[in-house]
Amino acid sequence: MTRGAEQPTDEDLVAAVLGGDRERFGDLVDRYQGRLVNYLFRLLRNVDDAHDLAQEVLVKVYQVLDRYDPQYKFSTWLFRVAQNAAIDQIRRRRLKLVSLRQDDDEGEGRDWDLPSPERGPYGEMRNRERADAIQEAIDALPWEYRELILLRHQAELPYEEIAQLKQMPLGTVKNKLFRGRQMLKEKLQDFLAD
Amino acid sequence: MKRPDHNTYREWLNLDVDGQLPRPQRAELEQHLAGCAECRAEREDLLALENLLQKNRVPVRTDFKGAVLASLPTTGWENRHPKTWAFPAAVFLLLAGIAAALFGSAHLEAAGPGASALVAMADMLGSTLQAGAGLLAATWKGLGLAFAEVISSPMSLGVLAVLVISLNLLFISLLRRRRSATAGAVRGGRR
Repeated sequence: MTRGAEQPTDEDLVAAVLGGDRERFGDLVDRYQGRLVNYLFRLLRNVDDAHDLAQEVLVKVYQVLDRYDPQYKFSTWLFRVAQNAAIDQIRRRRLKLVSLRQDDDEGEGRDWDLPSPERGPYGEMRNRERADAIQEAIDALPWEYRELILLRHQAELPYEEIAQLKQMPLGTVKNKLFRGRQMLKEKLQDFLAD
Repeated sequence: MKRPDHNTYREWLNLDVDGQLPRPQRAELEQHLAGCAECRAEREDLLALENLLQKNRVPVRTDFKGAVLASLPTTGWENRHPKTWAFPAAVFLLLAGIAAALFGSAHLEAAGPGASALVAMADMLGSTLQAGAGLLAATWKGLGLAFAEVISSPMSLGVLAVLVISLNLLFISLLRRRRSATAGAVRGGRR
């Protein structure tokens, strides 16, 4: 069951790993690492924690890979494990809700390193403002909207998978994403024209 | 056909940005956009928001994949599978121990009172095993006779076949149910 001739599906890769081809798990890592790290970063607000937890999640998934049910999408399963792990970590560590700007003020430097499309002092400052504004806008969303916005924009899951993951009707997912986006748009209005 | 209201078009815009709007509605939306400046501006904002979120993604560390692969357990889930050799090995060891006790008893008797006690225990174990084996043989003989009786008539053979097939189907359905319950638990995580 391959997509076209060249691209194996997630389910093909899982089957290959279970069949003893351990290297194929690396293909799954390639496929999901960006989305997973960014999704966890927006929840944990720390790049190091996001990488550490993403690694833990992938190892955890590997350990129980034989219990994966191919009738469900691998991505749904992966991000469900990731979300549960992130919530556990937030509860466990009682993550400090300190803004990234405060980190700068304390002289510790930023804990993330975003690509800087705008060079020069003004460009750098604008990048920082924008990055802070995005995180603040996401943090300001009520949880029920935030989790869906992150699953859509960071995890890049389709609506159907989000509905399945959150065990919500598809219409509710669409509605919440619509409202969440409206809130984000309002808060980020100054940066939309950049 | 009734035309959607303005709010519906706004909802469609969101779906369209995500590529989730069906083709017929998309065509209708395009028609609406041609005459609605507010919705055109809304679409621009939504695309800009998408672009803004995409541009501000954190890069994944170059060593991330290597770190993940290096930290995978060396044997993975296979470690948790029941070891297929464990049961045969245990049976072999048990039989070897019994054989040693039975056939080595003659040498042990000469060694002293402690060894004699061991030999007596081994003899007792041997007698028990012989009795058990005799009982088992008698049971099998009885079962064999009953089976021969059953297969002698086509009617009773048919009943037996139906019974065996039914039991197999029941067993398979129980296994499937158990498997889907396990998968559901894994999917659900510990929420």
